[in-house]
Amino acid sequence: MQPDELIAALNVALPALLTDKVSGAAVTSLERLSGGANNETWRLVWGETPLILRRRPFSADSVADLEGNILGLSLVDEAQVIQVASSTAVPVPEIHAVFDERHPIGEAFLMGFIDGESIPQRWLSDAQFEGARNELAYQCGEALARIHTIDCSNLPASIRPTTLQRRFEAAQHRLHAFGDVSPALQFGLNWLIEHAPESSPHVLLHGDFRTGNLLINKLGLAGVLDWELTHQGPPAEDLGYLCAYVWRFGNLDKPVGGFGHYADLIKGYESVTGWCPDLASIRYWEVFAALSWGLVCQTMGALWHSGEGDVERAAVSRRRSEAELDMLLLIDEWEGV
Amino acid sequence: MGRRVTYTKDTDASAELSSDALLTAVKAFLMDCAAPNLEGRHRFNARVAANVLGIIQREHTIGPTLKALDEDALRRWLPESGPNEPAQQLSRALADGRITPDDRFFDYLKARQLLVSAINNPRYASRAIAEERWGA
Repeated sequence: MQPDELIAALNVALPALLTDKVSGAAVTSLERLSGGANNETWRLVWGETPLILRRRPFSADSVADLEGNILGLSLVDEAQVIQVASSTAVPVPEIHAVFDERHPIGEAFLMGFIDGESIPQRWLSDAQFEGARNELAYQCGEALARIHTIDCSNLPASIRPTTLQRRFEAAQHRLHAFGDVSPALQFGLNWLIEHAPESSPHVLLHGDFRTGNLLINKLGLAGVLDWELTHQGPPAEDLGYLCAYVWRFGNLDKPVGGFGHYADLIKGYESVTGWCPDLASIRYWEVFAALSWGLVCQTMGALWHSGEGDVERAAVSRRRSEAELDMLLLIDEWEGV
Repeated sequence: MGRRVTYTKDTDASAELSSDALLTAVKAFLMDCAAPNLEGRHRFNARVAANVLGIIQREHTIGPTLKALDEDALRRWLPESGPNEPAQQLSRALADGRITPDDRFFDYLKARQLLVSAINNPRYASRAIAEERWGA
């Protein structure tokens, strides 16, 4: 959809939906934000109020044959999860409007704009965020613990409990479907199966809680974004995911997202729940996160093959090699202990 | 501004330009001409496209070594198999348990991954650690 068409559709749909919520009568500017190889993110101004539109540019049918839920929730369900999360102290944007795929805008939701820095390369290095960085691992521990205590009975039906066994099977299915091109990912999957932890109670997971999905201001965590990969699983999974090599932006000596240390993350988590998964289980999920990233990269390549997406998506398919390398490094470290 | 592309002068000015040289020329166009004159998503994608050409160049150089390594592994662990698609055959054998990976197989995967990473993303941070630990 071209920006002009999107503006026209928004100007028709929004006046009724934003009455009493946001003053204004029309879109006064619209800009596509970079990032997001899956969903589009647009920044628009309604009257004088900045808002964010998340929009899925293709139909769910076009990815159905890729098997599994790797592309995440529908945006309608994602909006519902964000609304559920807003009942906790986790910082999330306010949802103003939700559109399903039959709407002229397409599958999308409109939310409030939270002021903060979202580009990790900036907030990870800029001196003005130094204080924020020092607090952030603890704050992430707190936020994850709060997400993990959300009552799962209020969630969309698409967020069903699953088992590790089913996820292994889904991963294996995808590796086969993508042509078995990666002996490293297959080796890693075999290792994960052999080292699978005892099953533990499942909680609501953010599912994509990583440095690139955090909004930061000078005080630290200002917003938790991108809830499309929310699912149920063991608490250690979200913690390990945040610590995955691929999300450390080169700061490998700072295991929590490239900005913090395990001890602070664990302390923050414990401050809310009174307990925290142990470090070994967190590190197990770092290996799992590498596999997941590898599968996402392959999915991007498959989507490009099916005619969906631009050169970025084609290029991301080759980033599978990052996941492969990380898996081998982590397993090497684990086995070397 | 994007990173400037390094131009490599051909030693023999009369020679036909190699595909590598042509890719370098297109990469330079994307980085130095196209990207600065585009905005937003198109500017970003122009840079991505230039990086993709870099992958193709490195695959051209490193690919044959990777292929030989995979073929050698196939002969070692699946000696009865045909020669095609060695990485796929090894993956499938891992999946169905025909290969039980030992230290030597792990060493093959590490050596392989150093090459694959050198093609796709040589500046990826954990590659430096892997090179230090596993490099020759």
